[in-house]
Amino acid sequence: MSIKIIIKIKIILFGIALLTSSCLSSKSFQISPGRIVHYELYIKDSLVSFGGKEKRAIAVNGQIPMPTLTFTEGDTAEIVVHNLLNEGTSLHWHGLYLPNKEDGVPFLTQLPIAPNKTMIYRFAIKQSGTHWYHSHSGLQEQLGMYGSLILLKKREDPAFRNGIDDIPQIPVILSEWTNLKPENVHRMLHNASDWFAIKKGTTQSYTEAIKAGHFKTKITNEWKRMLAMDVSDVYYEKLLINGRNESQIKALTPSSPIFKSGEKIRLRISNGGASTYFWLSYAGGKMTVVANDGNDVEPIEVDRLIIGVSETYDVIVSIPAENTAYEFLATSEDRIRSSSLYLGSGVKQLTSPLPKLKYFEGMKMMNGMMNMDGSMDDMGMNMSLQKMDMNVVMYPEITGAIKKKDKAMKAMKMTEDNYKSNELSDIVTLNYAMLKATTSTTLPEASQLKELRFELSGNMNRYTWSMDNKVLSEVDKILIKKGENIRIILYNGSMMRHPMHLHGHDFRILNGQGAFAPLKNVLDIMPMETDTIEFNANLEGDWFFHCHILYHMMAGMNRVFSYENQAVNPYLPNKKWAYKKLQRESNQIHFMASNDFATNGNDGMAMLQNTRWSLSTEWRFGYMNTMGYETETHFGRYLGKMQWFMPFVGFDWRYRQQIGEINFQEHNVFGMLNSKDNRSLFTAGFDATLPMLVVFQAEVFQNGDFRFQLMREDIPISKRIRAGFMINTDKEYMFDLRYIIRKNIGIRTHYDSDMGFGVGINLNY
Amino acid sequence: MKKITSKILIALTIMLSITACNAQIKNAKTDTIKIYGNCGMCKKAIEKAGNVKKVSLVEWNIDTKMATLTFDTKQTNSAEILKRIALAGYDSDSFLSPDLAYSNLPNCCQYDRTKKTIAKTEAPKMKMDTANQAIQKSSLEIEESNQLNNIFDKYFEVKDALVKTDGALASAKSTALLSAIKAVKMDKLSMDVHLVWMKVLTDLQEDAEHMANTKDASHQREHFIRLSDNIYTLMKVAKYEQSVYYQHCPMANDGKGANWLSKENAIKNPYFGAQMLTCGKTVETIK
Repeated sequence: MSIKIIIKIKIILFGIALLTSSCLSSKSFQISPGRIVHYELYIKDSLVSFGGKEKRAIAVNGQIPMPTLTFTEGDTAEIVVHNLLNEGTSLHWHGLYLPNKEDGVPFLTQLPIAPNKTMIYRFAIKQSGTHWYHSHSGLQEQLGMYGSLILLKKREDPAFRNGIDDIPQIPVILSEWTNLKPENVHRMLHNASDWFAIKKGTTQSYTEAIKAGHFKTKITNEWKRMLAMDVSDVYYEKLLINGRNESQIKALTPSSPIFKSGEKIRLRISNGGASTYFWLSYAGGKMTVVANDGNDVEPIEVDRLIIGVSETYDVIVSIPAENTAYEFLATSEDRIRSSSLYLGSGVKQLTSPLPKLKYFEGMKMMNGMMNMDGSMDDMGMNMSLQKMDMNVVMYPEITGAIKKKDKAMKAMKMTEDNYKSNELSDIVTLNYAMLKATTSTTLPEASQLKELRFELSGNMNRYTWSMDNKVLSEVDKILIKKGENIRIILYNGSMMRHPMHLHGHDFRILNGQGAFAPLKNVLDIMPMETDTIEFNANLEGDWFFHCHILYHMMAGMNRVFSYENQAVNPYLPNKKWAYKKLQRESNQIHFMASNDFATNGNDGMAMLQNTRWSLSTEWRFGYMNTMGYETETHFGRYLGKMQWFMPFVGFDWRYRQQIGEINFQEHNVFGMLNSKDNRSLFTAGFDATLPMLVVFQAEVFQNGDFRFQLMREDIPISKRIRAGFMINTDKEYMFDLRYIIRKNIGIRTHYDSDMGFGVGINLNY
Repeated sequence: MKKITSKILIALTIMLSITACNAQIKNAKTDTIKIYGNCGMCKKAIEKAGNVKKVSLVEWNIDTKMATLTFDTKQTNSAEILKRIALAGYDSDSFLSPDLAYSNLPNCCQYDRTKKTIAKTEAPKMKMDTANQAIQKSSLEIEESNQLNNIFDKYFEVKDALVKTDGALASAKSTALLSAIKAVKMDKLSMDVHLVWMKVLTDLQEDAEHMANTKDASHQREHFIRLSDNIYTLMKVAKYEQSVYYQHCPMANDGKGANWLSKENAIKNPYFGAQMLTCGKTVETIK
């Protein structure tokens, strides 16, 4: 209890700290630039109760988020990081141009800061704008290691914009909180756990499909081997703005006058979430977007915008009336949760919450886009720059509330116009094509233009995320030369959107604005979109290029751009060894296991897997010799992009005592003698995932016997009921029903041809 | 003996029911707060939005507009409850409902939004005044055409609502259309317009009324077919301030086809909305 109170106080203190920091920022105009700005950061384990339960978090200087760091262009930053954790850590300065050794990526630009050690990051501030910083070690970012990093323009800067750069500004950092350990979240995602869907109410089971009149949609979906569709992967207990779910800012600082009516405020928004895209909307009218990823853009008025993971946007909002606080609302893309910041004092004017997604409409859309081989069909539509949002079919505020099927619709061909949100409604949604830089951004003349193409790839079933179907551990660094221009064409062939982030550089995104293409360092790319970005290679080093969804990055959706003949990094002399470490970090082995303690025996499995390899064992143990014991162990490798095929080798062992004296032998359907009672055999075969997600297994045993088997697990009957079956040529069969009570516990009943009928408790990890 | 047991039983049931009542909300705290609303329907909606089983209980009094909030202090607070109620459309002194939620309330529930108007009226009021002056200055002629222009404007708003498949909005806009129809002073219409007006009036009223009385977009669309035809007839004689496009979708009206009017040439189909937004073509441009 006492800890909880302390944390609450800390959060309140943070609120004040936040206000003071913004106060500092407004004063710092007067201080002459070129100074050294010094910060001390103490990284320490902490407990928080954001999600209603006390859980481990990481606080810096006692705060979540980390303190806002403010500099002016021309300053020198000196940031002393004290690691008081029991594990290594690092800090990455997101979006900054700085010497490679200060970039803060462990095993790429430095070694992790060891426990109880201190590191000093020191670099010149060569740009202005809204940026942020976060840990680049493991999954620490999810635990609270994110903070705003505000770089101010000098007054005399010709790019200084009156009415934009000189109005009150508030740093806003968005994030999310889960009560689960991030490592466990990561593991559950790889094991295709549907616990998050249950928590979110998005199981999309057969019962729900039938109720919604979408039975056929669901069948088609499973026929095409897709799991329930969703726009995000993880269930979060709470969303946070500046570390709080709901908060109010009445004045720039506690001592300054409260916001007046008509006053304009600049929000410097960073998305510090590990995997959440946020919709941003405001109760006091339109928002004016003035910068993106720290780079100025021509002001543009919008009703709402989506901010990708790790992107930053600067928006100006106004306070229309006296004695009213206006809600700034951040809603997760899945619309399950939201967080509010009230600007102003007095009665709180709310803004309309985003209505629930129409998931089955989304599923129908996915069915239409998905080919049988798992690739996507864009139906001849040219998609890029977030202009067409396929998910628009799920947005009730754009495409109307859920209604019964309209017969006339079926024959209609989908066209581009059906997905252009801004043309379907009065609501103006920002997209990349609307961003225009304030000055020309054309690249300097270079001797060479290097063009690279990447297809973003991945599959949801095994949660593998990659580029060109290769994870970081399967590729070398990409070599580039200093001075050359690099053009990257990205196509997203996966089913999720990805915020691709490049370290150390801003790239131009070719969006039809010609010389005024906006500069960014994060590109959100939606499924089936193709986008082109380009940058001048002007800063030597090893730079990470990766998906900023934390769990995608940890799954290996990364590349490294490495300058040829670069100087030795004093923090990391042995780069070869370090790169191996980096590769290993993003291809970790995941463990899962389950066992059914039933009246007729134990039934279970355990599995170790990484991106390509799988070692699994299944067992059925009776309680008596006559009921028998058996295990099957397989070691295999998943092939192909969708990983629907896995050849394996293995070992089978069985023992069963016969009742009575007659030694009665069984035959399989091919008339072969079956060694069901006493078997110790090596085996080779394959698993193939068929339509309807049925797994076909074929294997040959060392004695020449063979066996074919069909199996389907986890048929979603209702929100929490799963069914499964198995049948094989050894005349064995099984049928089961499982009710999921909690994350790790279920009740299971099954009938097994060998062991008969059983009821039991199913535990899984 | 029997009596005693029955008495004990009664006592037990009473005790149990009392504890059951108490067990409903633990760590209970009660606040009395004003919530704006009008009628019995409001009461239902307010209480439904505020109540969470075993966590919070709201009772709203129609006469005093005061709500009694009882809640578990360990699980929630009055601000959370009031926010939920505001999101359902009902203002309090701590939260103002989103405009959309308020406008979606049934007509009888659309209470006067005092707070909001105090805060916001100044600027619009000024505009209204100048607009009124302008109208007063304007000649009779303009007023005449304005009469029907108002109807056309409202028609386009109804159409836009149907493009969005927003039944509630279409209903509200139809109500406005209906009052615009009723406000027409026939004696001020020119001769030829008057004749057409007399012909279409009954149907116009009937269709607008039907559309106002339902929030079901598919029912509204049925009436929108004839409504559009009549507005077209009217516009042919009365003229509108800008070019209007008469558009046709062959798939609407169960494949029999239907028409509508639009201020822009680009097709935005009011009969299908987003499902088939671009079905149709312009068949005539009314200048």
